[in-house]
Amino acid sequence: MKRLCGLLAAALPVLAGAGDTFLLRNVAVHTVTKGDIANGAVYVRDGKIAAVGARLNLPKGVRVIDGAGQHLWPGLIDSGTSLGLNEIRSIRESADLSEIGDYNPQLRTLVAINPASDHIPVARANGIAAAITLPEGGVLAGQAALVHLDGWTWEEMDIARAAALHLRFPVLSTRPSSRFSRETSRGTPYTDARREYRRKLQALEDFFEQARRYRKAKVANAPGFKPDVRLEAMLPVLEGTVPVLVTASRERAIRDALEFAEKEKIRIILAAAEDAARLAPELKAKNIPVILGPTFRLPREEDDPYDAPFTLPAEMHKAGVKFAFASFSNQFARNLPYQAANAVAFGLPYEEAIKAVTINPAEIWGVADRLGSIEEGKWATLIVTDGDPLETRTQIKRMFIKGRAVDLDNKHKRLYEKYLARP
Amino acid sequence: MRPRWFAIFCAAAASAAPVTLIRDATVLTVTKGAGKGSVLIQDGRIAALGPNLAAPAGAVVVEAAGMYLMPGIIDCHSHIAADSINESSVSVSSMVSVEDVLDPEDIAIYRALAGGVTTANILHGSANAIGGKCVVIKMRRGKPAAELLFEGARPGIKFALGENPKRRGSPSSTNPGDAAVLRYPATRMGVEDVIRQAFTEARIYQAQWQAYRSGRSAVAPRRDLKLEPLVEVLEGKRLVHAHCYRQDEILMLLRVADEFGFKIRTLQHVLEGYKVAREIAAHGAGASTFSDWWAYKIEAYDAIPYNAAIMHRKGVLVSINSDSAEVMRHLNTEAAKTMKYGGLSEEEALALITVNPARQLMIDDQVGSIEPGKAADLVLYDRHPLSNYAKVQKVFIDGQLYFDRQKDLEQRAARQARKQALLDREKQQARPSAPQTRPR
Amino acid sequence: MRFLGVRAGPRVLIVLAFWAAAVLRADAPAVYAIRNARIVTVSGPELPKATVVVRDGLIEAVGEDVAVPVDAWPLEGEGLTVYPGLIDGLSTLGITDESALAPAAARPSSRSSVTSSPPGRPAAGPEDRPRTTSWLNAADLVRITDRRLESARSAGFTTAVTFPARGIFAGQGAVINLAAARSGGLVVASPVAQYVSFSSGSFSEFPGSLMGLTSYVRQLLLDAGYYRSAKARYEKNVRDAARPVYDRALEGVLAAPRILLPAQTRTQIARMTHFAAELNVPVVLYGVHDGYRAAGVIAKAGVPVLVSLKWPEKDREADPEDTDSLRVLELRAYASSTPHALAAAGVKFGFYSGGIERPGDILRNVRRAVDAGLDRAAAVRALTLSTAEIFGVADRLGSIERGKIANLLVTRGDLFEERMKVEYVLIDGVKYLPLPEAPPREERQ
Repeated sequence: MKRLCGLLAAALPVLAGAGDTFLLRNVAVHTVTKGDIANGAVYVRDGKIAAVGARLNLPKGVRVIDGAGQHLWPGLIDSGTSLGLNEIRSIRESADLSEIGDYNPQLRTLVAINPASDHIPVARANGIAAAITLPEGGVLAGQAALVHLDGWTWEEMDIARAAALHLRFPVLSTRPSSRFSRETSRGTPYTDARREYRRKLQALEDFFEQARRYRKAKVANAPGFKPDVRLEAMLPVLEGTVPVLVTASRERAIRDALEFAEKEKIRIILAAAEDAARLAPELKAKNIPVILGPTFRLPREEDDPYDAPFTLPAEMHKAGVKFAFASFSNQFARNLPYQAANAVAFGLPYEEAIKAVTINPAEIWGVADRLGSIEEGKWATLIVTDGDPLETRTQIKRMFIKGRAVDLDNKHKRLYEKYLARP
Repeated sequence: MRPRWFAIFCAAAASAAPVTLIRDATVLTVTKGAGKGSVLIQDGRIAALGPNLAAPAGAVVVEAAGMYLMPGIIDCHSHIAADSINESSVSVSSMVSVEDVLDPEDIAIYRALAGGVTTANILHGSANAIGGKCVVIKMRRGKPAAELLFEGARPGIKFALGENPKRRGSPSSTNPGDAAVLRYPATRMGVEDVIRQAFTEARIYQAQWQAYRSGRSAVAPRRDLKLEPLVEVLEGKRLVHAHCYRQDEILMLLRVADEFGFKIRTLQHVLEGYKVAREIAAHGAGASTFSDWWAYKIEAYDAIPYNAAIMHRKGVLVSINSDSAEVMRHLNTEAAKTMKYGGLSEEEALALITVNPARQLMIDDQVGSIEPGKAADLVLYDRHPLSNYAKVQKVFIDGQLYFDRQKDLEQRAARQARKQALLDREKQQARPSAPQTRPR
Repeated sequence: MRFLGVRAGPRVLIVLAFWAAAVLRADAPAVYAIRNARIVTVSGPELPKATVVVRDGLIEAVGEDVAVPVDAWPLEGEGLTVYPGLIDGLSTLGITDESALAPAAARPSSRSSVTSSPPGRPAAGPEDRPRTTSWLNAADLVRITDRRLESARSAGFTTAVTFPARGIFAGQGAVINLAAARSGGLVVASPVAQYVSFSSGSFSEFPGSLMGLTSYVRQLLLDAGYYRSAKARYEKNVRDAARPVYDRALEGVLAAPRILLPAQTRTQIARMTHFAAELNVPVVLYGVHDGYRAAGVIAKAGVPVLVSLKWPEKDREADPEDTDSLRVLELRAYASSTPHALAAAGVKFGFYSGGIERPGDILRNVRRAVDAGLDRAAAVRALTLSTAEIFGVADRLGSIERGKIANLLVTRGDLFEERMKVEYVLIDGVKYLPLPEAPPREERQ
């Protein structure tokens, strides 16, 4: 029966008004920003949270959902995925992640998202309601989009189509990439690698300089000005309306990225910053947020503490740096909450782990007025669970995206039921 | 060679492991329920467990109130602690052995310990229909390679089906047009053929030796290191661990094994095992699978996280493995996923990483549960190990403490100082006239 | 070449030196007597002031009371020290044929040109004898024209064990002197060992991994044993037994009395000592930098070792942001204490140059071992008699004794003093003067 409701709900378009008004009551409400209500209620009207409280007086005729013994949380946000862009990574034809060329700021992941990807319902079933989709090729890879994990089309999924421009910061690399090539080749000498690194940094600066000149010419309405799709895409970045998501892992790259941001006067968000702890005071001072993840990774160096990746979130928290978690995956997006939990095991306060998959990403991606917590006026993007959403054994019972009940069925559950029933 | 080392090791373990009492933990025995109690370790073995054990005089006492004690985790599929993993040049690489290249100084051993793993099946890679020989090791960090070997464990051999063993048969993955480097097979049909051919050869080889041993032939046959392990498989002396994904290839291998009269001990990955669980159970093969990996290649597209639960419910002996030095660090929470996906109980979930892999590797008389007489391979957690908030505090192997989080934290500064001293010394010694070490 | 009073480019100097050497050889007297010298006999006690007489290429007499024969060319040894000529325990000296030398830097795709598997088809198993040239014999390959002979002589070496060095079973080594009138005259003993390296080739050719290499070595040695008995069976009864198919790879393996196996780290040393016990062939390990942590293991196995004098050093082309691991740092810091540890554990060990480019650095690196605790006498022994013993030529080389080959090193100052100077060497009783120390390569370019 419940399944049937889910299926009916799924058949309704996202923006319809009828299904997205209801009262969820008798539920433990975890607002994230305004504390917990042990036995509370949330009134959702037209897809938005109209009221939150212990007891709510409501107009008659509102559909009531009883949440006895259950918990209500904001829908979780994964701040870096390839959901919808990449079905089976080893099948080139099913992957739309990396374009040819180093400078493609005009590329938009949003338009390449396959809303029917099997990965989306799989991630959703574990409470992921929204995600950043990241392009991966070259240096300026393109525009990351923040999307609802539901919708008939990518337009319906759209939350912020240019959430950030993805800059994959150049890497100075002397080491051969694989274990085998380490045995057989010595890698690149440092002097050569450094020359190449500097060349790449210069090219990056040149590109920004080119964009800046383009902007000047455009503003001045210079004679002979010709529109350029690539450079046009840089304008919101130069004007500070779109941040740059900078992927930089090691200390030098992070340091150079900070310097670059300062020089270019751009707003940046740091991603995959394995060495971020060493630069935490600077990140805090410059108010640069960080996308962490995955915490389930190996220490880079043999001598690093075995738990270095596990304790990084706690260190960032102690330093006062704002951060969010990302799976940087499609198949493992569903494990985002467990990555957050692992950080808790290694010193991150629980509330901070929850924030790092709800309100922090909402703030970092500029949508905190609509997402990330259970507050009046925000979208009713919610999950109902039978326990702590960061614990593996917890089941997600319901999900609402903008007030609409979302189908939690997926390919895996269907195959499970089919083959469990095989005689 | 092994018995010699075995004897040395036993002597060492017996003399070195202190009498230890782990007091007032929640003991998760896996096979005999769970409850508050203490565990007494003597001579490297579990001597007793119960609610009110007194510490013998001189015993080391570990206060474990509020903590959880479980059997050491057993990973049935790992590639750590070895200097090479894949002899990918040939479709039958049974002449090579992981034992020859064990690396006891691999840092992954320590990291695995820190994740509660005490035993692992170190497998050859999956580039060959019939791969190399494998060994079961204990994470006895600090001991030489020969002492890592799990004494008495039967040796194994890796098989592989599907995409990996046929990859080098496809022109797209090598230099286009260079037909000379294409390697048979290119299809799943060819994979079956390679295995059937190899065992046909092995039977002939076996017969030659039988003829020699029975005196029917005067001259001993040439020893063939490729065929010897296959004869051992035919004679049930070597366990087959077969990498597989799709249901068709799984069934194929079971039928080939039936044809040649041997058993597949474990199916590895076996991501579509849930589709042929009945057949797997009937053959008696174990299944060692991922918790939730999927869609990283086409043969993994029907992988579901309910795989372990379905196979378990249909009578297959199931374990959860890592195949990764990283996942190996949190197999406890990997096992917890079977509670979410398919509703296994706590004890069933824990069995997937302890007693079940022990049974698959035929070492369950030694390890895999907390029972008197078994080796004292134990992990102490600060929270229930099926919680994502649990951290490993201590790990014992044969009653010896091999990992202690507190000690690890305490030693970090000293280790760093030692390193810095060496770096400083090197800097001091660096002279411009020092000999050039590398040709330009 | 200060004695000529000429400052010339190195190329000219080398040519001149060849000419000088040739002239000296032509005029060389058959009898020398070095008198009033400090003589380090190695096999016996050190003689503070004694005479050594050399006749027709052999040592005729050594001692404090030895008289200078009337027909001898006297050499004043006051202030000089005489050592047995130094022996480089593992080298390619004298071999100039590129196809027998290991490539300078292996590339992942490079496949050896010397392989017995058919061209165009990658080796598919041990039966294809991949990267095997076990039949090559250094004695057949050495040439007096190799200019490296003279630089080695200038550093005090009179002798080397030299090997073809390309492939897995690269070939048979010979003990050679570092000077002779004709190439054949270089060879002192042959074959003395088979050189085995675990060089990786490509993934797509067997063996493509360390596991495969180990397995290949094991199978080839099993095959060699089988081949030997098959041949014996056949020789006993040529009419009834099947004739074994001639296999040059196995012939090459059987020809050498011992094999050299690589082992650098403690793990590799433990691995190779086990392997040695299994193989049923005398084994010598080479490399052994981590031996300071494994001396006990080696001693227990009773395997002699050759220690590479090319101590590990920091990679100057590494990224300063990459810090080496503690393990690597420790190996670099303590590798040179390996000889001391080996000596203390009673392991038989010799030294080899290990690809050191400037011969002058060889002794400098021995000095580092001495600084790390190695007894000076033990260091000299490792450079002379021990190596001779390891290769079974101690009856003719390695010490200053009557009847041994007259290979002598004469220095001003102790061998391990920074300011030691090689005065000359005698090889087969012929005197050779050193080249002046070549300036560092960077300065020359």
